[in-house]
Amino acid sequence: MDNVAKWFTKGLVVAAAATLGLVSNGYAQGKPEKFKIGGVLSLSGPYGLLGEDMRRGVQIAVEERGSKVLGVPIEITWEDDETKPQPAVQKATKLISEGSHMIFGALSSASTLAVMNLTKQRKVPHLVTISADDKITVPGGSRYTFRTSNTLGMENRMALAYMQERKLKKIYVVTADYQATRDGYEWIKQQAGPSGIQIVGEDFPPLGNRDYSSIVDKIAKSDADGVLLMLTGSDVVTLLKQAGQVNLGKSKLLFGPVAADETMAAAVGPASLGVNTGLRYDHTIDNPANRKFVEAYRKKFGIFPSMTAGEAYDGMAWWLDTVEKTDSWDKEKWVDAFAASVRENSVEGKKTMRACDHQALQPGFWGEVVQGNPPAPSLTMKITKVFPEEKLFAACKN
Amino acid sequence: MSTIVIGLSLGMLLFLLAAGLTLIFGMLGVINFAHGAIYMLGAYVSYETGRRTGSFLMGVLAATIFTALVGAVIEKLTLRPLYERPHFYQLILTFGLILILSDVVRFIWGPGYQEVAIPPLWNGTVNMLGSTIPMYRLFVIGFGALVSVGLYLVLEKSTFGMLVRAASSDAEMVRILGLPVGSIRMAVFAIGCGLSGLAGAIAAPLFPIELGMATNTIIDCFIVVILGGLGNIRGAIAASMLIGMVRALGYVYLPGWVDIMTFVLLIGTLLTRPQGLFYRATRTA
Repeated sequence: MDNVAKWFTKGLVVAAAATLGLVSNGYAQGKPEKFKIGGVLSLSGPYGLLGEDMRRGVQIAVEERGSKVLGVPIEITWEDDETKPQPAVQKATKLISEGSHMIFGALSSASTLAVMNLTKQRKVPHLVTISADDKITVPGGSRYTFRTSNTLGMENRMALAYMQERKLKKIYVVTADYQATRDGYEWIKQQAGPSGIQIVGEDFPPLGNRDYSSIVDKIAKSDADGVLLMLTGSDVVTLLKQAGQVNLGKSKLLFGPVAADETMAAAVGPASLGVNTGLRYDHTIDNPANRKFVEAYRKKFGIFPSMTAGEAYDGMAWWLDTVEKTDSWDKEKWVDAFAASVRENSVEGKKTMRACDHQALQPGFWGEVVQGNPPAPSLTMKITKVFPEEKLFAACKN
Repeated sequence: MSTIVIGLSLGMLLFLLAAGLTLIFGMLGVINFAHGAIYMLGAYVSYETGRRTGSFLMGVLAATIFTALVGAVIEKLTLRPLYERPHFYQLILTFGLILILSDVVRFIWGPGYQEVAIPPLWNGTVNMLGSTIPMYRLFVIGFGALVSVGLYLVLEKSTFGMLVRAASSDAEMVRILGLPVGSIRMAVFAIGCGLSGLAGAIAAPLFPIELGMATNTIIDCFIVVILGGLGNIRGAIAASMLIGMVRALGYVYLPGWVDIMTFVLLIGTLLTRPQGLFYRATRTA
């Protein structure tokens, strides 16, 4: 019996020590010295410039809260995915292995989808603030991935509404040879017929195409009254520059889901005047949250925030506020809280995270490149229409 | 009509882009991976000069001279010690130069796009047989033709060209004759880089000026060099025109096959005439 008691006592001591060990170990894991954000962005390649702006937007979101969350400093490590999925996964894997508490990015949808599979597998929260591929937020998709920005679907709906509103009968479509834009174009194609819009020509130049003169010539010779540009970044800049050389914008309406913002307009020059586009974020959106952000951004960087900067700020500020409210280091609690969150004071107005697919419901903005007056850039965006969220999002279906 | 003009302008732009690479490879045997970065630098220098002076011509001149000087410095400081080493030393060096030049450009001008407007003299269109042709495209064709003739005359008809060719085929003999082989090589590399910078300045009004320029042109240049025959200037002109026309016609008749056709042409050439489509055998003693 004594032996039994001795073994029982020893067992208790070992169990207690083990429990304490576990607790202390858990405590150590639960109270890191830093909140680590792993950012995977395009800092080179076709979307390189957009990535730099996203970095700036995140910087403002972090600095406005004293660079702290859950009582510890925020540390951000940036990695360049060169606008390619394979490096994106490699860099995200590295960041996760270095202890990132969340992954931010990527920029191109192909990279984001690749990173999304990884974060789902590794159960790491993943914030997307610009990639628009509809497949990123689908019911039954990743529990860990959230998108706070537009979907391509909502931008395509705005583009279709624009075509209907302007009573376009014939359009020519230029689509970057890229899965997300091709999917978007397929949707537009299906909708165009019943809307009485005829597609009189289509081209699928590769991402990063360098010369559009042949395509511009074909468009100029067509009887299209509008040109739908399903491309963005340096691709749309090059096309618009070369379209400007034959004054294409004077005879045909140039528009697209993401055909322009101030950064792209500046690169194109006066040929961008009159281009119509969906806008994800614009510094002219008039609300207190945006005014505050624009002021902070201009103070820090001396320029107005771009579309990608604004979206990156908005998503990261929302995410960090949500994490703070959980008062916990449990990633699952962050995910649950974000899935049920509402951002009343977003820089773009109210945003509601939809629990079924982790897509933020939000208003949509449509705008046009116009001449700007100081301090605004000489080519600036004018918001011409705001679409309510119910016009832009289909119901969540499994 | 417009398709032919577009094909010619695409071809001439390609030639301008590839001329420097062809020259350097043909005369020095150096595969200059940094060619695209020098082209990008030329575009940025032309942008900056044009912004400060308001003159497109000054931008073109400044870009050409500055990139030629950069080329001379690169040759003197980094390439010269590597001529006798295996080719991969030069590949690694010139690849490193891409990273350095890209970072220098990023530091000075930032990561954003820059814009160079078409000079007023060439900013317009002309109607040719029912097609609207941008005047700047016509300027590119004419300018490219001038450069190609100039390059031909310098290399084939001038004393300097003769020295360059002599130093290229037998550097040791030229050295024994008391001629400065090092300076000749430096001049060739500088001229090659100057041509890249010139191409950057001429292309600047057509494309957004951005860091990606350093890498997204180099493949096209190598296609021209391979099709034309390594180091063959006349071959480079013909290859550029061939690619330009294939692309222009391809976009009209087989738009989904443009890149495939270009690469089929490249692979076919490598398999059947690895010395290049326009290679001409030379008589040797």
